[in-house]
Amino acid sequence: MLPTRWLRRLAPMLVSLIFLVTACSSAPNQYDQVQKDTTGFGKPVAVSKDAQKGGTFNQFFPKSEGEFDVVPSQEKKGFAAYKLNKNGTTVATLSINDTISLPAAVAKYSSASDEVAGYPSVNQGTTTTGLLVNGRYQVKVSSRDTSFSQADRVDWLQKFDLKGLAELEVTTNKSSDNKQAPKLNAPPALTPALQPAA
Amino acid sequence: MSKKIYELVDKLPKGGITVMALKSLDKFVPGQWDNLVGFDHTIKTVTGETDPALVQAIGERAITLFNDKGEGYQRALWLYQTVDSASGMLGTAALANRIGQDTFLGFLKNITPKPEKAQTIDLSVKLVTEIVAFCHINGIPGDSLGDFLKSLGDYSGESIMRMAALVAFDGVIPLGAEFSTKVLSSIKGMGPSDLDNNRTFKGVKDAIPGDNSKGKLAFITESFESTQGWMDQFVAEKGITQGGVVDGLSRFIEGSQSKLDYLGAFLDISAKYYEHTGVQTLARRLIERSFAEL
Repeated sequence: MLPTRWLRRLAPMLVSLIFLVTACSSAPNQYDQVQKDTTGFGKPVAVSKDAQKGGTFNQFFPKSEGEFDVVPSQEKKGFAAYKLNKNGTTVATLSINDTISLPAAVAKYSSASDEVAGYPSVNQGTTTTGLLVNGRYQVKVSSRDTSFSQADRVDWLQKFDLKGLAELEVTTNKSSDNKQAPKLNAPPALTPALQPAA
Repeated sequence: MSKKIYELVDKLPKGGITVMALKSLDKFVPGQWDNLVGFDHTIKTVTGETDPALVQAIGERAITLFNDKGEGYQRALWLYQTVDSASGMLGTAALANRIGQDTFLGFLKNITPKPEKAQTIDLSVKLVTEIVAFCHINGIPGDSLGDFLKSLGDYSGESIMRMAALVAFDGVIPLGAEFSTKVLSSIKGMGPSDLDNNRTFKGVKDAIPGDNSKGKLAFITESFESTQGWMDQFVAEKGITQGGVVDGLSRFIEGSQSKLDYLGAFLDISAKYYEHTGVQTLARRLIERSFAEL
């Protein structure tokens, strides 16, 4: 057995070690909860199986014009994005997504007081303007350069083939009348960051 | 347990050999890469948004997308990590056991340069890995092959830095400025067994299109052929030379000018530039998509 005086000396060291180990292994992070919710058995899928193919959206994007070059950037199920380049620099991104995977994204349009081309429109944060087609397809333009203003975003939103996109909803409904969107864990509403579009 | 994308981005190194080696290439691609570190910091930089609730929501959607295996992001991460660690092992495959003649050689006494064939396979497998990882991250954007190539050609930021590093560290330093012609003629003369004996290939072969090693070799050859023009133009336009690359590196690796073969092997072992910039690309694309979908 160790003499008591050794224990007295060792005890504080052991206690400090325990504190050190605990501190290292359990530093909390604001993303730990979502990590837990989206991993392991029974986790929700990130994208609904009923979402449109991303490639379906390509036809509705604006085309390159003048000094602006529209370059394909991402295409995943329910989502397509393009870069808007001017003289080789990306000044904005253009995107269409199917909100069937993320119903919370639709909520912000219910209080929209503005319209672009007849569709409800909101500003999100300070860089993004979006509109919602047929309560389902979200079209967004995000500034990536300070030279690209809110007015530019509204201008480019109108260059999408929004009428074509609106017809897509009708076609889809015919073929999938009885399909229902699965319930997904949606991220928190973005109300604090929303303002009506100017 | 699944890897946590936010922790990977939070823990990216701010210094060390990988970061210094990449920074030494800044003179060829000025201002393209600023070593974005930290998940929230990356969200703020990529989107230009600072509202904490919005940043949190973007982060949560990005994590959700990453954790869904069907979305391909985890596969891309695995590719970037595996191709780095597999090629690193190649560098240590044989021991030279030379006595160091100066400080730099002291560092390198247990490192031997890779044979040219191994270096050739290494470079071409890394290039194919980039194309495959690109598709896992971005899908196949656009409606035509032309659209896809346009999308690949629009690299910027950490992606263009990764390509600069591939061309400089795995091409120009070990094989010289004419590396692309050398590599192409070399892989055209190879058989499937040459690939099967290569560690870098073995590490990622399951992810390379093709039914067997023969099919995969054909895919690698075609990919290299179709990007050769881009690489040659990149080297010429940016003025990338052995001397220029070594000059930049010599600021932090003493005596590297006269030991080119060893320098390539040293970088191979020490610099994890594919993984480092790959995690940054992955985070950027996830964040862009997440904000667009919210």
